[in-house]
Amino acid sequence: MRPIFRDVNKSELAVSLPCRQKSLKRARWVVKKFARRHGFEADAEDMALATQEALKNIVQYACPVDDSMHVTVTDAGDRMVIEVLDKGTGFDLGAIEGTPPSPMALHGRGIQIIRGLMDKVVVESGRGGTVVHMEKMRAR
Amino acid sequence: MEIEVEEKEGYVIVMPVGELDVYTVPLFRKVVLKLEGDRRHDLIMDLTKLTFIDSSGLGSMIEMYQKVQSAEGEIALVIDNPRILKILKLVDLDKVLHIFPNLGRALEHVGAAGGYYDEEFFSDLT
Repeated sequence: MRPIFRDVNKSELAVSLPCRQKSLKRARWVVKKFARRHGFEADAEDMALATQEALKNIVQYACPVDDSMHVTVTDAGDRMVIEVLDKGTGFDLGAIEGTPPSPMALHGRGIQIIRGLMDKVVVESGRGGTVVHMEKMRAR
Repeated sequence: MEIEVEEKEGYVIVMPVGELDVYTVPLFRKVVLKLEGDRRHDLIMDLTKLTFIDSSGLGSMIEMYQKVQSAEGEIALVIDNPRILKILKLVDLDKVLHIFPNLGRALEHVGAAGGYYDEEFFSDLT
C-alpha cells in the first residue's frame, strides 16, 4: 500500500502506512509537524518518538495481514491524543505490563520509553488487533 | 548518519553524527564490531553530535558496553544534549553507564580506570 494522509478536520490527522521500517520516520515527521502546528512545540519531539516506538513494535513483531498500520493524531484542546493501531492478531499484554526490562537488556525498551514520554498510555490488544492510546497534556 | 572514529591520548573515541535509531544501528554495530576485532578495549562514546536516539539505538549502546566489559575494558559516554540524556534516563541507563558532560571528563575517567594497555608502546620496554 502507499501511505495515505487524511486531514479529517483541522484538529485531527489520520495516516495509514505500509507495515515497513521506512514508514517509521515518515510517521515521526508527520506527528512532529502536526504537534508543532498545534502549539505543542515543547513536546513535539517526545510525541514523535513515542509514535515511532509504537509503530516499530508493529513492524518488528506484528505486521498484520493487510500490511498496514494506522496513526491518528488529535488536538483535544488541553491535550494531544495519539492512537497507533493495527489489525493484527494482537499479543499478550502481560509481556509489557510486568516489570520493566533490566537496564542491561538489549530489547524491550519501546513501551518503557512511550510510558516515560507520554502522560497517559493505554494498550488494548485482542483478536481484532492492537491499539496504543497515548495522551500528552498541553504545557502551561 | 556518519560515525567518526579517532584516537586521542591513546583511547578510541566513537562519535556517531546524526540519528542513532532502527535505521542506522546496523552501521553502528558494524563499526563497533570492527573495533572489537581490533581489540580496542577502552572506548569513549562521544554523543555530542547525536541528534536523535530510539530504543534500537539504546540497545546497540548496551551491546557495545557489554562487549567492552567482557574484554575488561572501560567505556564512558559524553552527552551534552538534554534530550539524549532524558531518553537514557527514562530507561535507567544513566545508572549503568558512566556519563560525562564533556570529553575531558570522560578521558579522565577512562584514564583513571587504568584499563588501557598499549602493547606496541610498551613492547620496547620489555
